[in-house]
Amino acid sequence: MAIVEIQLPSVLAAVTDGNMQFSVEAQTLRDALDVIVRQHPRLALHFFNEEGVFRPHVLCFLNETNTRWLDDLEVPLNGGDTLRFMQAVSGG
Amino acid sequence: MSVTVIVGTAKGGFVLRSDDRRSWQIEGPFFKGWKVTTVARADDGTFLIGAASDVYGAAIHKSKDLSDWRQVAQGPAYSEDEKRQLTQIWKLVVQDGAYYAGVAEAGLFRSEDRGETWQPMPGLNDHRSRSAWMPGAGGLCAHSILIDPANPKRLWCGISAVGVFRSDDGGDTWHPKNNGVPVILEDKEFSEIGFCVHALAQDPDNADLIYRQDHRGMFRTKDGGDHWERIENGLPSGFGFPLVLDRETRALYAAPLESDEFRLPCDGKFQIFRSRNGGDAWEPLTNGLPQEHAYAGVLRGAMDADHLAPCGVYVGTTSGDVFVSSDGGDRWNALPYRLPRVHCVAAYVEG
Repeated sequence: MAIVEIQLPSVLAAVTDGNMQFSVEAQTLRDALDVIVRQHPRLALHFFNEEGVFRPHVLCFLNETNTRWLDDLEVPLNGGDTLRFMQAVSGG
Repeated sequence: MSVTVIVGTAKGGFVLRSDDRRSWQIEGPFFKGWKVTTVARADDGTFLIGAASDVYGAAIHKSKDLSDWRQVAQGPAYSEDEKRQLTQIWKLVVQDGAYYAGVAEAGLFRSEDRGETWQPMPGLNDHRSRSAWMPGAGGLCAHSILIDPANPKRLWCGISAVGVFRSDDGGDTWHPKNNGVPVILEDKEFSEIGFCVHALAQDPDNADLIYRQDHRGMFRTKDGGDHWERIENGLPSGFGFPLVLDRETRALYAAPLESDEFRLPCDGKFQIFRSRNGGDAWEPLTNGLPQEHAYAGVLRGAMDADHLAPCGVYVGTTSGDVFVSSDGGDRWNALPYRLPRVHCVAAYVEG
């Protein structure tokens, strides 16, 4: 199990009792997402759409890698990895 | 007697408080960055709001004090199979312990546990005409909900651009009720839909007496929606969005706009119109409201009354102004705030 750091946008702070930065233990990226949503179930609505995939403008970065570029979520995690959520800058 | 007015805007909610309805204090924003779309208050004083984000979806939150908010456990949601996206909580209604939420993509939900979990109402959401429902300019949204205080099994729901539906069996079955209102988009198969209700207001003692701001004009029914009649005497335009009824005097308040094509105040004058005879005639209210080069509108949820005597009326505009009247609309004051676009206004009397 790796301990990875989770970073959330401040706009979602109310959903996690103000926790915008915390750690979870997980083996893979998919595990980490499961743990995050298990710890903060109300986040699921904001991350995922009705089909259970990331909403179009929600970005999830594993360190510097946009997880949309990954073939799947079965990516092993290493201690010290950072999982960062943010909204896509897509228009202004 | 103090009044709390919640103003929901495109970028958060604001709380206005006054002990005399003359001087106001403002707090906020709460839900900074979120679109606050609707407010309701339960019998125990708990506030419920709908907050939406184009990025993060829509949810219902509860608070006892308008400060400490908590997202409900399981808000309205569609399943993957339904192939619908829930983008906004358009209307929350709590009345005599019954909790209803109207949403976009259009649907009605009900909660049996004080708003913690919500269940869809398939009698309406999967109505036989559903495949022909078309959105209005604001999307396909269920934005108006009425409950008969004397018989809570009688319900009305307004959906744009579908029409008004009524249920007489607690929401199991729903029937379109638009007779007398011109259709806006006639469907080849389902001729009973294709109407564009914008807002509904109901007499508190006679649930069959309902007023309707529609895309095609201002209307009234005296039989619960079986028949509608046009009531536009004195209005500069039948088009508009909000419609509010003062429960004490039965005065009606509307904010007409120049046609669906332009959607601007008529002649650049920001006017609220009042009817003191059940819609038979309307009069313009202008004292204190900008009468030159005023081009902001009022969205359907952005006007409310406090039902005191005399009635306080509160209006938020698309350019973020808030106008208040503490004498039933005879005189208005602009509050010294320039808020984001106002989506909803809700007034509550404290104590």
